[in-house]
Amino acid sequence: MEYIINQFVNGICQGFIYALMAVGYSVIVGVVGFVTFTHGEVIVFGAFASFYIFLLCGNNLLLGVIGSFAASWLIGIFVYKICYERFFHAPRHIALICTIGVSMLLKNIAQIIFGPNKKPMLNIIKNKIYSFGIVEISKVQIVIILTVIILSALLFIIFMKTRWGISLRAVSQDKTAAAMMGINVKQTAMIGNCMGSGLAGVAGLLIAINYQTVYATMGSNLSIKAFAAAVLGGLTSVPLAALGGILIGIIENMGITFTSASLRDIFTFVFLIIILIFKPQGFSKKKGVRP
Amino acid sequence: MKHFIDTIKSTYGKYKVIVWIICSLLLLIFPALIPSNYVMGVVCRILFYATLAGSLNVINGYSGQMCIGHAGFFCIGAYIEAILATQYHINFWVLLLVGGIITAIIGGLIALPTLRMQGIYLSIITLGFSEVVRLIALNWTSVTGGAMGVKGIKSPTLLGFTLSSPKQYYYIFLVIGIVFIFVTNRIINSRTGSAWISIREDELAARSLGIEIKKYKILNFMYGAFWAGVMGAAYAPYTRYIDSTYFSLDEGFNILSMVIIGGQGTLIGPILGAAVVNSLTELLRSFSEWRMVAYAVLIIAMMWLRPQGLVGASDSVLAGDKMKKKKIKVLAKEEK
Amino acid sequence: MGTLLETQNVCKYFGGLKAVENVDMKVEKGDIFGIIGPNGAGKTTFFNICSGFYAPTHGKIIFNNNDISGVSPDKIARLGMARTFQNIQLFKYMSVLDNVKTGFHIKTESTMTDAILHTNRYKKDKEYVNEKSIEVLKKVGLSKYAETKAGNLAYGIQRKVEIARALALDPTIILLDEPAAGMNPNETDSLREFIKQLNEDGYTIVVIEHDMKFVMRSCNQILVLSFGQKICEGTPEIVKADEQVHQAYFGKGIIAGKGLQ
Repeated sequence: MEYIINQFVNGICQGFIYALMAVGYSVIVGVVGFVTFTHGEVIVFGAFASFYIFLLCGNNLLLGVIGSFAASWLIGIFVYKICYERFFHAPRHIALICTIGVSMLLKNIAQIIFGPNKKPMLNIIKNKIYSFGIVEISKVQIVIILTVIILSALLFIIFMKTRWGISLRAVSQDKTAAAMMGINVKQTAMIGNCMGSGLAGVAGLLIAINYQTVYATMGSNLSIKAFAAAVLGGLTSVPLAALGGILIGIIENMGITFTSASLRDIFTFVFLIIILIFKPQGFSKKKGVRP
Repeated sequence: MKHFIDTIKSTYGKYKVIVWIICSLLLLIFPALIPSNYVMGVVCRILFYATLAGSLNVINGYSGQMCIGHAGFFCIGAYIEAILATQYHINFWVLLLVGGIITAIIGGLIALPTLRMQGIYLSIITLGFSEVVRLIALNWTSVTGGAMGVKGIKSPTLLGFTLSSPKQYYYIFLVIGIVFIFVTNRIINSRTGSAWISIREDELAARSLGIEIKKYKILNFMYGAFWAGVMGAAYAPYTRYIDSTYFSLDEGFNILSMVIIGGQGTLIGPILGAAVVNSLTELLRSFSEWRMVAYAVLIIAMMWLRPQGLVGASDSVLAGDKMKKKKIKVLAKEEK
Repeated sequence: MGTLLETQNVCKYFGGLKAVENVDMKVEKGDIFGIIGPNGAGKTTFFNICSGFYAPTHGKIIFNNNDISGVSPDKIARLGMARTFQNIQLFKYMSVLDNVKTGFHIKTESTMTDAILHTNRYKKDKEYVNEKSIEVLKKVGLSKYAETKAGNLAYGIQRKVEIARALALDPTIILLDEPAAGMNPNETDSLREFIKQLNEDGYTIVVIEHDMKFVMRSCNQILVLSFGQKICEGTPEIVKADEQVHQAYFGKGIIAGKGLQ
């Protein structure tokens, strides 16, 4: 019983990371209007950025977060320039295939640069375990959950209170109307893409801390997880995507508790299929732009 | 250049029968001309991937759906053949069909929940499915042998001969390929094919014309999956040993890159794509880690410069929105 | 003659937005029926409900004595309803002939097996489609464009191709969504003649149009929508004289009152 409860806690913690990925994903889909396959690779680059920052600058979590955010932001610009900028008015499958191409490119370049082996992440947070009755929660997990909450709150403030946020929301609702109101749609879409990528990068950092390892091929399945979580909110609703992420984290961890750890990725897929069967549009009521 | 092509076309028109006879003779005696087993192996790979990429092209190129995890279907076909042949000693030729049919049914089931949604959901589902199939193959040890894979898959026999070397296998792949091209060509030119193409070109219009979108999409997907299953079943005895590492996501991207580079929406496209990509693989053998990078760059370059692929269907939405530019040119001509 | 298409209390809501509310309509067999209304009045939404692209939130649609509310577009097309779109939805990379040939989908039956084995049914279907599509093109007067790519044609001709493709379904009723949009007066006149001709050939026609002259001259019955609601229905004379229609188009006031004269 204790084991199950602690697995549940682990699931929630992991779910928060997935939530951050999914939030990034739905920001990208919402603002840019295209579905992307590069998300997993962006996450890997974010993770490696923080890995090297910790290696060079020592235990500074804040610096790591900023570094991985910035690195992923740059990758976001790269992805945007190659996959989206030229193809806003082209048939949709072209941008889609482009993101597949870029995902292959980034994945293999990551393998060449960072090497194919798993690298142990530095222990930047002293591992302390707090117990509340039978529930045990480690310091790392608390840090992860707090980071996700703070970043989400920041994102919310940016979206709701700043000029950037207004243009981002305008572009996500109607590109033509936004352009007529004098918003630079392409630039705004790029910022949206970069913000989503940046969040994904931080998620990469958190995954690296959580698992204590980084490796170049860890992104492959994360794309699907981010997508599955975002589907819950019809791909564009940010809060529901976050909820989806947490749900997936819990389902996965409960699933592997009762079966075997190597089946982890199957549960995401089952979750995705079930949602598509029963609630294909997700739970989002908002009628926004759909990809 | 245009003149040159026209000359070729008219010559071809004149000597059509002779050209065909020469081509088929060349294909028949080809193994005798190539002494090296290594080259023959490469040729076999090209033939094999030509059909596999062709089956993906049926889905991506003709009905405008996007399947990404084709390796999953390929994997199912291969494991069905391997398991049934090693444990129940069922005939290879029967298993080709069985593998195809089971794969088609599974493909249909996978595509079913996505039919109400836009194409992108199918893409993600196939991607996830491909990974799930690999995981099942890796973990269901009692049936698939787990990480050990399936060993000692018997070579097929025909009229008492055992076909095992690449030279003999060449004919198996060739025959399957020809059957595939023949059947697919007939379907594409039929009512079913035009329904597929109309869905690709303009789904809204197709619906208003009374075309049952869902039925034709799933039919198309199952047809593509069928041939992927057949190729999987043909592939297993060729390598004699399969395990789950053959069927990773990279394999799916490999197949996809052949379709995209060679060209979508034409029968010749995937054949050319298979030839180009596999030759490239051989050339880059010593820089194997750069291989996928090269494919990725090629894919992106294709999307920027020629979205339909090298010899893809130029007169379709696959080619991007070239119509506007052309229209202006046509209007300018009329004014002159 | 009898009623061919009838809607009873049809409503369509998008969330809180009432795009179409309680619209009744009766289209008689052999009629030319016009639907007019200011921008955003819900005309196209109403069309989309009739042809099955949207399911109505409430209400009933009866076509040829069949209840078709919420039935999918392909089944409705099979029952004999064809439509065109406001933004032309042609297969623009296909030739005009191929466009029309695709329209014969529901008139043929050959399956994949027929195609693989080239059975008699397949051959018959091929012949039928080839013959009929040329016939349709002749009827519409597009024979000379048969091999031209649809996307390369002038706007007015594209409209005609779309109608030709709709004719391939052999419908009893055709819904035309703003067929004269973007046409010059000459083209509009020829289109009116063309629609009259179709009507004489036995097709019932429902047409959405902005061009008042066009509607007033060619339609026998007119339905006026404004903000999703029916404000008037009747012959052109009745509609012309209706106070509410004037208000919907021109607003209130003395000068506005002179609008339609």
